[in-house]
Amino acid sequence: MKPAAFAYARPASVTDAARLLAQHGAAARLLAGGQSLMPLMARRLVCPELVIDINRIAGLDAIEVLASHIRMGALVRQEQALRSSVVRECVAGLAEALAWVGNPVVRQRGTVIGNLVANTPGSELPAVAIALGAEFVVRHPDAEVTVPAAALLGVANLFGAGKGLPPEAMVTHVLWPRRPGAAGFYEVARRDGHAPVVSALVTMSNDECRVAVSGVCATGLSCPSMARIIARDFPQPPSASALAGALQDDLTGPVYGDAHSSARYRLDVAPLVSRRAAGLMALRAVA
Amino acid sequence: MTVDDVPRRARVRARYLLSDFLREQAGAGGVHVACGHGVCGACTVAVDGIAVRACLMLAVQADGAHVQTVASLSALEGAPASGRDGLTPLQAAFREHHALQCGYCTPGLLVSTALFMSQHKAAAALPGNPSPRRAAILDHLNGHLCRCTGYANIIAAIESVLP
Repeated sequence: MKPAAFAYARPASVTDAARLLAQHGAAARLLAGGQSLMPLMARRLVCPELVIDINRIAGLDAIEVLASHIRMGALVRQEQALRSSVVRECVAGLAEALAWVGNPVVRQRGTVIGNLVANTPGSELPAVAIALGAEFVVRHPDAEVTVPAAALLGVANLFGAGKGLPPEAMVTHVLWPRRPGAAGFYEVARRDGHAPVVSALVTMSNDECRVAVSGVCATGLSCPSMARIIARDFPQPPSASALAGALQDDLTGPVYGDAHSSARYRLDVAPLVSRRAAGLMALRAVA
Repeated sequence: MTVDDVPRRARVRARYLLSDFLREQAGAGGVHVACGHGVCGACTVAVDGIAVRACLMLAVQADGAHVQTVASLSALEGAPASGRDGLTPLQAAFREHHALQCGYCTPGLLVSTALFMSQHKAAAALPGNPSPRRAAILDHLNGHLCRCTGYANIIAAIESVLP
């Protein structure tokens, strides 16, 4: 359980970090909170030649309120976002989902963006980012672009190794659309604090319902069909069978299964988890 | 960095983990290493006042930091060790409730629980805020594996020292 040898760099600016990434590409990994990367390095599933530690880059730990978005830098910790009053007031559902990620010690160190770009199958936040319409600010060697979360997270990948994010690119910020409202989150996990089998977030803001489901397809799902049914029946949660039918329209790929939870089980439990989340959302919406 | 208020200066390889540095070069035997990949919580220490799994942090990342292990428990709790055995209130509660058996997970658990309690005492001092509910304690304990107690006694010990 010791990482293989690597070189270490601690750039002081995003520009320096981007320059190192441009030079080393796929041989380098960015290290922020380390709660996903370090376990992979300990098990030698990932053996970078260069670790670029971004923890001392000033300014990346800010949560900023913009006209239409909340902007978070790559060093915003999950617990920091969870406790942020502007996050609670402006982005319905994000704090509710964050409370289910890991445990307090992991959340105090782990970053929101690190969790997103790790994009582990089943993970809560990538599905939430897709469904809430988050966007990433991505620094490429020669340009900075803003891309929808779905464009990067709709591809099963790990730390940019897939085709979602080129190895020389760095996600510097995530933008969450300001959409206040009510939210309910629920998940089934083998053990609290571990990656869920299936999770669901349901948000309602100004009669617009959004649903995020993880753990059914290999990447997170935004579920507009389930959202339509939940909005139609609001404040009553729809029946699980109605949700199960709608979920079929929201699938983006094959339903996946693993040694612990079969595809059949995931399909069975996802409508129940979504129904529970819809009920929790309705309780808060009418309170 | 300082480890339990003692300045430590060393040149280490980049791959050297904070948990190994603390045990092997800083003499902090209270840092227990079990899983080595962030699952069990046994190696939890405070880095600049924040609970951290020392096996998920490189020693070089703690360059200049103020690291506190279970040896600094009294300072972390903000309460003196007292009594014949010199136990802090949290340690005394763990003994009183039989919240440990083999003791391997205990140092990490004590460090993160001391920080958990100070956060919640600060919150509870605000008017209208109750002390942490059982759910908050269970969420906190998600970060720690204990194979002996079944957790019930740990929960009882923590509840007994909350305001």
